[in-house]
Amino acid sequence: MNNITTQFRPYLALSWYSLKAAIRNKATLFFSLIFPIVLVVAFGLIGSSNQSFKIGLIEGKDEINPIVATVKKISAVKTTTASLEELNGELKRGKLDAVLKVDPSLFGGYQVTVYTSNANPTTSGAVASLVKGIVDQGNLRATGVTNNPISFSSYEVTGRQSRYIDFILPGQVGFSLLSIALFTTVFGFIALRRLLVLKRLFATPTRPITILLSQGTSKLIMALLQTTIIVGFGVLVFNFYLPHGWVTFLEIMVLSVLGLISFLGFGFFLSGLANDENSAPPLVNVVSLPQMLLSGVFFPTESLPTWIQPVANNLPLAYFNQAIRKITTEGGNFSDTIPYVVGFMLWGVVMYALATRTFKWE
Amino acid sequence: MNNHKDAIVVKDLVKKYGDFTAVDGISFEVKKGELFGILGQNGAGKTTTLEIIETLKPLTSGEVWVEGFNATDSPWEVKKRIGVQLQSAGFYPELTLVELINMFAALYNVHVDARALLKKVDLEEKAGAYVNKLSGGQKQRFAVMSTLINKPSILFLDEPTTGLDPHARVSLWETIEEIKKSGVTIVLTTHYLEEAEKLCDRVAIMDSGKIIKIGTPNELIKELLAGGFRRKIVRQEATLEDVFLHLTGKTLDE
Repeated sequence: MNNITTQFRPYLALSWYSLKAAIRNKATLFFSLIFPIVLVVAFGLIGSSNQSFKIGLIEGKDEINPIVATVKKISAVKTTTASLEELNGELKRGKLDAVLKVDPSLFGGYQVTVYTSNANPTTSGAVASLVKGIVDQGNLRATGVTNNPISFSSYEVTGRQSRYIDFILPGQVGFSLLSIALFTTVFGFIALRRLLVLKRLFATPTRPITILLSQGTSKLIMALLQTTIIVGFGVLVFNFYLPHGWVTFLEIMVLSVLGLISFLGFGFFLSGLANDENSAPPLVNVVSLPQMLLSGVFFPTESLPTWIQPVANNLPLAYFNQAIRKITTEGGNFSDTIPYVVGFMLWGVVMYALATRTFKWE
Repeated sequence: MNNHKDAIVVKDLVKKYGDFTAVDGISFEVKKGELFGILGQNGAGKTTTLEIIETLKPLTSGEVWVEGFNATDSPWEVKKRIGVQLQSAGFYPELTLVELINMFAALYNVHVDARALLKKVDLEEKAGAYVNKLSGGQKQRFAVMSTLINKPSILFLDEPTTGLDPHARVSLWETIEEIKKSGVTIVLTTHYLEEAEKLCDRVAIMDSGKIIKIGTPNELIKELLAGGFRRKIVRQEATLEDVFLHLTGKTLDE
């Protein structure tokens, strides 16, 4: 009897009905399809606030001098006017990026002072050099220098405004894949064992490999649905950027398939270790929490302390996130992802090898 | 190989879990078309014996033959020919009865009319319901029916009436007797002696992993009486169960 042909219909049926059962399970549906959307919405809204400098001006004092007038013209600057004490208070609380004080000097010129907070060195530096630029220009004009010995010009390339959504969404795709592979597999197998569904299936001529493949297939379809929903939602609602349009979307789908196959190794491995609903959550969290925090889901791994970066950059989810950002945020080609795909696939191989030792049907 | 007269042959079967011996060297045959009961208390080894014959558990030593196939060497040939009802459900809770039947049909590579099968056990109206929404009796009727999808020649029923109310039990007995009439060999475990006496052609009495007696219910009773046994209480003409069934009507349980 040819096993492949006799197992084909059982495989299709089990895949289809497992998928149906999963979609009807409210917890699965929420965590795999609705929860990622909630996260994307939350982070999409954070990302939409435009970056600008908030500079405080002292009430009734500076409004007419040319320096303040120039600062006010810059589009990236928002100004508020209040007393110096109030402004300093705001500055300390982080509500303002800088306070600008312009006093007439003894010699008919101006004394310009910029107060910044050491809590935010990047913005402080930016505001200080912005004001200094204006001051220098004013000085040159005042001294009548028209033929600068050093001339300066800057060109802007037509780049895309980098928004948080463009960073966070690929990370969400990766994290959702890991979640589906871990949570639904581990808790799914525990439930199937407890309800004797697996035993009942074993009483039929269904081969164990057919059962595993069909479980994997139903999760894969869930994962593709999930990725489509996350990316589709991002594109429609938050104008998420797909550098090569449909091609990028298809590349994301291919990556998702590969990612899920790798991550399912963790799911199968852990479902062998977890005996029941009580022992499963700690095991799943040990695998998912560090990866959620360290793999560049919410912020880039470069912002982590240097000593932890070698660990963080080699986590399977970190490899996946780097791969997917190559083709989304960085606008690269699929071939750019290969080193990272190899990275998370190696993790998968190790996990499947471990899973063959831990996996149990009863 | 297929030239065999017994549906099931079990020879010196032993099953050990570490130091614990769950099944301790039992032997018996089940004839074709027979309804064979395994009687015993919880933990006597009934379910383990059944699961070894069903190829769900490996044996420690001994031999098990089902329809001429060795259960250890040819489990897939055995699985095709048997129907298995487990002690508790064994069904996806998120699938409807019709979906479950269609899924099992696919697993056996057969085609069935799901609604016709449901009608046989009076569950036609529950076609779109989930197993969890069924009453105890309906659940067991569905479980027994689901074992018939592959038209098995042997059926294994593990304590099918445990936990059922009297109506549901009687109704399930009728279903089982009907299946027997169609020529299917049935192996049933129970700890209800009345059930064994009423349904079984022969029973094996199991205790602590050993079969201590095999025979027809009548033989066993006669043997006991021949040994000088007398029941302490005079046998009643009716039991309380008869009263209950008489008063409430011997109908299905819903």
